[in-house]
Amino acid sequence: MTTIDLRDGAPDLGAEPRYSITRSKAGRRRQAINFLAHALFVVAFVSIVIPLTLVIGYVVTRGMKVMSVSFLTDDIPIVTRAPGGGLGPAIVGTLLITGAAMLMAVPLGILGGIYLNEYGAKRRITKAIRFLAEVMTGVPSIVMGLFIYTTWVLAFGVSGFAGALALACLMLPVIIRSTEEMLRLVPIDQRQSAYALGGRRAGTIFRIVLPAAAPGIVSGVLLAVARAAGETAPLLFTILTVNAVNTDIFHGANTALSVQIFRNAQQVFPGPQERAWGAALTLLLIVFIFTLIARAVSAIFARKHQI
Amino acid sequence: MNNSGIARRGSRRIALTASAAALVLVISACGGGSSDEGAPTSTTAGTKLSAATLNGSGATFPQAFYETAIAKFQTVQPDVTVTYAGGGSGKGQTDLAAGLVDWAGSDSTVKPEDAAKFKTPFLYFPTVAAPITVSFNLSGVKTLRLTPEAVAGIFGGAVSKWNDPLISATNKGVTLPATDIVVVHRADGSGTTANFTKYLTKAAPTAWTLGTDKVVNWPAGQQAGNGNAGVAQIIESTQGSIGYVDFSDADFAGLRSAEIKNKDGKFVAASLSGASAAVAGATLNADLTYDPLDAEGATSYAITAPTYMLVSTTYGDTAKGDAVKGFVKYVLTDGQDLAAYSGFARLPAKILSAAIAQLKMVKVG
Amino acid sequence: MTLVDNEVRSGSVSLLAGESPPGRRTDAVFRSAAALAAGAVLLILGLILVTTTRNAWPAFAEEGLSFVTSSTWDVAGAAFGTLAFTYGTLVISAIALLIAVPVSIGVALFVTEMVPKRVRAGVVMLIDLLSSVPSVVFGLWGILVVAPALTGVYTNISSAFSGIPVLRSVFSGDPISGRSFFTAGLILAIMITPIITSITRETFATVPRAQKDAAYALGATNWEMIRGSVLPFSRSGIVAGVLLGFGRAIGETIAVALVIGSSPQITQRLFSSGDALSAVIANQFGESTGTYQAALIGMGVLLFVITLLISAFARTIISRAERRIGAESV
Repeated sequence: MTTIDLRDGAPDLGAEPRYSITRSKAGRRRQAINFLAHALFVVAFVSIVIPLTLVIGYVVTRGMKVMSVSFLTDDIPIVTRAPGGGLGPAIVGTLLITGAAMLMAVPLGILGGIYLNEYGAKRRITKAIRFLAEVMTGVPSIVMGLFIYTTWVLAFGVSGFAGALALACLMLPVIIRSTEEMLRLVPIDQRQSAYALGGRRAGTIFRIVLPAAAPGIVSGVLLAVARAAGETAPLLFTILTVNAVNTDIFHGANTALSVQIFRNAQQVFPGPQERAWGAALTLLLIVFIFTLIARAVSAIFARKHQI
Repeated sequence: MNNSGIARRGSRRIALTASAAALVLVISACGGGSSDEGAPTSTTAGTKLSAATLNGSGATFPQAFYETAIAKFQTVQPDVTVTYAGGGSGKGQTDLAAGLVDWAGSDSTVKPEDAAKFKTPFLYFPTVAAPITVSFNLSGVKTLRLTPEAVAGIFGGAVSKWNDPLISATNKGVTLPATDIVVVHRADGSGTTANFTKYLTKAAPTAWTLGTDKVVNWPAGQQAGNGNAGVAQIIESTQGSIGYVDFSDADFAGLRSAEIKNKDGKFVAASLSGASAAVAGATLNADLTYDPLDAEGATSYAITAPTYMLVSTTYGDTAKGDAVKGFVKYVLTDGQDLAAYSGFARLPAKILSAAIAQLKMVKVG
Repeated sequence: MTLVDNEVRSGSVSLLAGESPPGRRTDAVFRSAAALAAGAVLLILGLILVTTTRNAWPAFAEEGLSFVTSSTWDVAGAAFGTLAFTYGTLVISAIALLIAVPVSIGVALFVTEMVPKRVRAGVVMLIDLLSSVPSVVFGLWGILVVAPALTGVYTNISSAFSGIPVLRSVFSGDPISGRSFFTAGLILAIMITPIITSITRETFATVPRAQKDAAYALGATNWEMIRGSVLPFSRSGIVAGVLLGFGRAIGETIAVALVIGSSPQITQRLFSSGDALSAVIANQFGESTGTYQAALIGMGVLLFVITLLISAFARTIISRAERRIGAESV
């Protein structure tokens, strides 16, 4: 008998029964359909692995052609079509702008998540905020860019900070939601024990709940930062992509890896195209490292709570 | 980190203003300012400019020239940082109008209703000129001769196949396939589009019906690229395509371009000498704009486009204003030597001297 | 629970040393700080909606309903009908879903039914790796690698279909380009598969053991068990995943802007170029002024409203499914 039994710990149905239903023609047909279905599952899996390999493969092979320490630190050539050069200013820009966005969105987001789960759990406004935060995570990032352009840039000019504001708007709802989820997972017994011992809300949160939820919250923050670092659309109208380095994020135009890639992707000359692949490789590395750390941290969290 | 940055900048600004003021006093005391009245070839290396950052955006048509000029200018004036973000003439005009940049590049003139939206009035400074090539990618075809009517037909949609009579009539020895023409135009608001369509309105008024503007109502089914380089990229990677690209990008990318029948009836290839011939006969308006499109002259290239730097009439920040004037002056003097190298035609002396004289109208401080 | 809350609030029970009145103040301060933060979300979202709608209003006022129903987009002539862009957005999202949904369900079933438990986490991480790749990297790969490579493929398909009556209008004719509806839809499909996979996978994992064992007890093959127990049970989860993938596809800007061709038209030919709502904003916003700019912002509002509706819809489906799981597991 050839029924595939893939469940874990299942009773062994593979033992030969006395009267076999499946040896009949209908049975063989069912076997064939079963096999076909599983073959299709494998095909589906392969057809998602192939693009993944292709994307990463191209980025790595073409990016490695230009990648070097000098690529990461050299200036961007002033003449766009010139070959060589590096993307130092773009890396500086990405780090500064994403860092500033993090400084704004993370405290606000964690506090907001704490409010939603710890203080406002029974109010109706909490449900509204929760719903809106969820909706905001799905809003196209370009809308955030438009918003900051019309409210901030037209009044105060382009700057890295304007870009950071747009990115912070993107990160905020994600961090609030993930913080709230993580706090909800902390068992109620831990809280009640603290209250029974006379602790106050704030103290309980700081000393019991937050430490327990910390790995999950950190993981959520890292994922939000990884997403923000790769975003292009919010920066398009807020930082005025230039090639010179600018460490002052409050004044003047700036640049970032994502917008540089976007611009160079539409160039006809090999020089900027190569720099685009190099930038893509750098960006991928940054995003992957953040994502892997986030997953590792949340895995520790999951393991700790399975005991 | 952020706070100290602002404070440092504030005190630096005071120091800059003080030193700039001292510099101006010294120069005027020497009975100076005379370097502004010199011949177009006088150098600006004499006056050292104080530290400033100039952000610019706009036309991609002259981008290669401005970038080369910026690179050289920054070696002469190491304390000044000039940037050029590109983005198309439309973006340059909008950014300067909103005060988001310090200068803008534009191939086309600003419409009166848009000029009203500018926070500070602006001036046109013509910098270089260059051909707009009609570049194509057709295997086996090295040269193509096109009349204005053929160009209008191709880009307007009336001519859809390569072996159309309008094309084959002027290309007797060339084998043209019966395949579809993939037309490429600009997706963004472009001065190159404005000039190209303006040429078609002048040279083929009955055949071209889509008018002229930075954005035109192109027929459906064409491809669009961002910036001149984007269009060049599409042409280079698409068999059977044709589009309009600035000479510098087309030449450096190795694209083939067509010979266009000019006003005198001659088929002239896109070249810097053809562009110079077209500019030579153009009349300069009071605001320093001019029109070399569809120029007369046997050697003139038909689709020669001008390009301008848009500069505000007043700059409150002295260091910035001086830097802008210094950069414009450089472009109009030593910078002209870089034009041919980057694929652009330098302007005749009469236009350059008029532009340098207009620099006086930019008030600083 | 309530008893403890009351005691804490009144502060009458204080066995721990060091709980003095400042503790009450800290609690109040912290509570207000947290409340402010939550309010910030409300404020920001409200601001986004209000300011973008206000800035878009001139376009709505001038165009009226034809803003969404007219396909005439003529900047010079001041006619701003966005139908061609909405069409483009819907077409590429539809292509993306048609490809991504079967693949995602297949992958999810592969992971839950065919992969040994030990390897499962690694496989899941592999798929999630795809979801962390930024959109601009997909766009770069799309425009420099995929689009040129697909042009030849499209030409072959086009000539193959040129004889077949109905499909001919979809797959043949007119200038064919790698930068087209289909390429954009394909890249989108690759981008939204991880999301749909992860949601459907989680849904499949919540199918009660009892249901699955019952099917086996009746002699079902693995596939018959899936078809009879897992899939019907997971219907709402799959729908929710599809909706979220749809929402992401609609809002995707950069990758689409690079490979769609940026030439708005309403056509059923999938291998010709088009344009989409998000992409045209990215391409043309920088130079727009006046009503033109208002029209582009209006498209942003349109996108915002659509994603809002989809999110709300997905959420109701998920919560309804959760309630049902809760009820059934009792």
